[in-house]
Amino acid sequence: MLDWLKHINKEHPEFWKEYLTKFSKKSKRYVILSTKATGDSLEKDVITFISAFAVENDTIMIKDSFETILLQYRFLHDNHLSNEYIIESRLMKLSEPEALKSFIEYLGNGIIVGHQIEKDVAMINATLERMDCGKLRNEALDIDIMHRKLHEITEDREFSLDELSDFYKIQKTEGDSATEEAYKIALLFLKLKHKLGLK
Amino acid sequence: MNIIAEQIAEFLKNHAPFNQLTSEELAEIASNIRVVNLEKKQTLFKINDALHDSFYVVASGVVNISVIVDAEENIIDKCHEGSIFGLRPFFAKNNYKVTAKAREDSLVYAIPISVFKPLLANNAEVLNFLLENFASNLPEDRSSKGNLVSDSGFYSEKQSEAQFFQTLAYNTTPLLATSDNTAQEVAQMMAESLKNNVIIFEKNGPIGIVTHADLASKIATGRYPINIPVSNIMSSPVVTVLENVSLAEAQLLMLKNNVTHLCVTIDGTDKSTIKGVISEHDLIAAQASNPGVLIKEIKRSLSSNELKEIRKRLTNLIQSSIQKNIPLTHITNIASEINFAILKRAVELSILDLGSPPARYAWISIGSQGRKEQLLLTDQDSFLVFEDVPQNKYIEVKDYFLKLGKKTTATLEKIGYELCPYGHMGSNMMWCKSLSDWIKQYNNWMNATRENTDNLSSIFFDYELVIGEQKIETAINNIIFENANNNALFFDFLGNEALRKNSALSFFKKFIVEEEGIHKDKFDIKTRALMPLIDGARLLILSYDIKGINNTYTRFKQLAIADPKHSEIYLNCAEAYLFLTKIRTLEGLKNENSGQYINLEELSKIDREKLKNALIPMKELEELIKDKFQLTQFS
Repeated sequence: MLDWLKHINKEHPEFWKEYLTKFSKKSKRYVILSTKATGDSLEKDVITFISAFAVENDTIMIKDSFETILLQYRFLHDNHLSNEYIIESRLMKLSEPEALKSFIEYLGNGIIVGHQIEKDVAMINATLERMDCGKLRNEALDIDIMHRKLHEITEDREFSLDELSDFYKIQKTEGDSATEEAYKIALLFLKLKHKLGLK
Repeated sequence: MNIIAEQIAEFLKNHAPFNQLTSEELAEIASNIRVVNLEKKQTLFKINDALHDSFYVVASGVVNISVIVDAEENIIDKCHEGSIFGLRPFFAKNNYKVTAKAREDSLVYAIPISVFKPLLANNAEVLNFLLENFASNLPEDRSSKGNLVSDSGFYSEKQSEAQFFQTLAYNTTPLLATSDNTAQEVAQMMAESLKNNVIIFEKNGPIGIVTHADLASKIATGRYPINIPVSNIMSSPVVTVLENVSLAEAQLLMLKNNVTHLCVTIDGTDKSTIKGVISEHDLIAAQASNPGVLIKEIKRSLSSNELKEIRKRLTNLIQSSIQKNIPLTHITNIASEINFAILKRAVELSILDLGSPPARYAWISIGSQGRKEQLLLTDQDSFLVFEDVPQNKYIEVKDYFLKLGKKTTATLEKIGYELCPYGHMGSNMMWCKSLSDWIKQYNNWMNATRENTDNLSSIFFDYELVIGEQKIETAINNIIFENANNNALFFDFLGNEALRKNSALSFFKKFIVEEEGIHKDKFDIKTRALMPLIDGARLLILSYDIKGINNTYTRFKQLAIADPKHSEIYLNCAEAYLFLTKIRTLEGLKNENSGQYINLEELSKIDREKLKNALIPMKELEELIKDKFQLTQFS
């Protein structure tokens, strides 16, 4: 609530200021987001993977995508974990601040869509705070909530991504990487968006 | 490139024309793709929409491509996984000429033209493929047909799918003259271009036409001098039609107005721009794709692939005929003749391969093929009879015919007739036997019915010779009717078979639908509605000793004559049977399956009521059978 008080004396990084200026216009671009983290704790855990696709005009833009591994040397070291798999992967690797910076630049004022999105957003916000930035300003949509709304399900049960994929007959992918999850979420989002008649 | 793009590239690699591209090119395409989700019945683009900046590949699901002919939507192509469509932006600048609509929930990849076009320059193969695909998607674009390279034998009749109701191909560059041209000038134009007509126009609207007939009757006879203005000898006014007129309509117009040429204009009146001229010859050319031609092609074909292609065209013929409300009996007759020609050719192809048979034989179709009622690609049922041979030759002969059976059923399977799940086929040891064994078999079935119910199936009593010795069929015919005569036990069995089928309506006159499985909530029209009629007709026809009629509809008609007391019931059954078949066929065509399960919710309210009414004669028939055969022994 009193975020602005906390930050009032701090100078935000340059990219953050630019990010804030983008909100003068309303966006038609949806950013389908999926992240991987080492756990649920906002203080102790860190994000290890961010993946996203853009949806514009009801189509998934394969080109307009974002995918990066976050190198969390300190976290791995502190927890005595191996980092071999990260080193060997061909994907783009960035340190936490760099990754978040390029993600924020990619995200812009797009509307975030995800599966149980508040967790992802909270995790990103926690990370942003460590970088002297504010919280995300973007609108966020959750496909789980969209699904429950469509079918007027009132009971307080969460649907896993697999359950939703089965329900809407989305083809199974081979792995469960964040990118594949983001793609599945994007397909679900297109279906739900159409069914709910969102413009 | 991320993993999704990799997966898309992998998918594209398996489909033409993308298999011609290098992996770098594929990667470039894949990373520029846009993924579009289409809900069932959602339209991607429709006729006259402005062109999109991309073309499409079906990733999953089915997309129907349709055109409008005579104000009705006709499906001209169904795009399955891996097929490309919406190629118009490559080749033309005007708007879409077809509608693309998802038949079921589908996913399509949109490939931007700007990304793909540069690749065409280095890949002639790909360009050719696209051209061919473009032309085959658009029956009206005949002008481009000349350029397309095709190695399939059906090239010249590729468009025949649209059948009698296709839009016509006609001369789109007619000769034009104004009314002050002289008769001689006009005749000169016709002679130079080898055409037999010239349209006379005024301010872009046609006012008349001069044909060979006019010149012959008015100039050659000396009634007018050859330098007279053509307006004096033209036939006026000229009959004008809309651009997408169908063959049937054009024919009617010519008959009605007693003319040999129709002028095509943009809005169908004589006050708009001339688009072309349809001559009688165009009608004849269009009719070349009639069933007779199909049969001729079957007789010439040399592989299962060619036959498969022809069978597909038969499906299209059936579909367009039903849409045009041609009586189902006609459609069934034509379809079964073509089906039989295909079956016969399949056996012949096997013989060509195996060498001539060592004994006389008969390949006999049973079940729906035997009844000549197969409109959809349902399963194949058949058996094989060969003449009795000396003991020492028996093994060799049986071996040959088993091979023949296996080869033929395999060919038919390739064409699209599924194998019979119960193994009722000539390739089965049990159903590939010598004539005396078959006579024994029928004797057993019919006289000791009680002990032999295991492998007895009523479909063995609907049979029709496909190829081979007519005498063998006659022999089987005789044995069946001899045995049937006053054979109460046998009729009991058949009667109970007919009645055992589950009823179609509940006590409250509601449809009884499937309770579980993948067809949950659908109505099983085959077992609940059609089979009781088919079984009933067969039973009665055998009991009345009527030979040689296999078709359920004609059987009922025949029964109405043989048993005039109940003729009303029979005629109702005949009509009901037709209606049920129509519903099933439509469902089957729509979903490209056997149409066994009807989705009641997709039927209109009127059709649902009609369907319910069609189930009523069944009850009366049941009562009749119960009464006539006093069913007791088995029940």
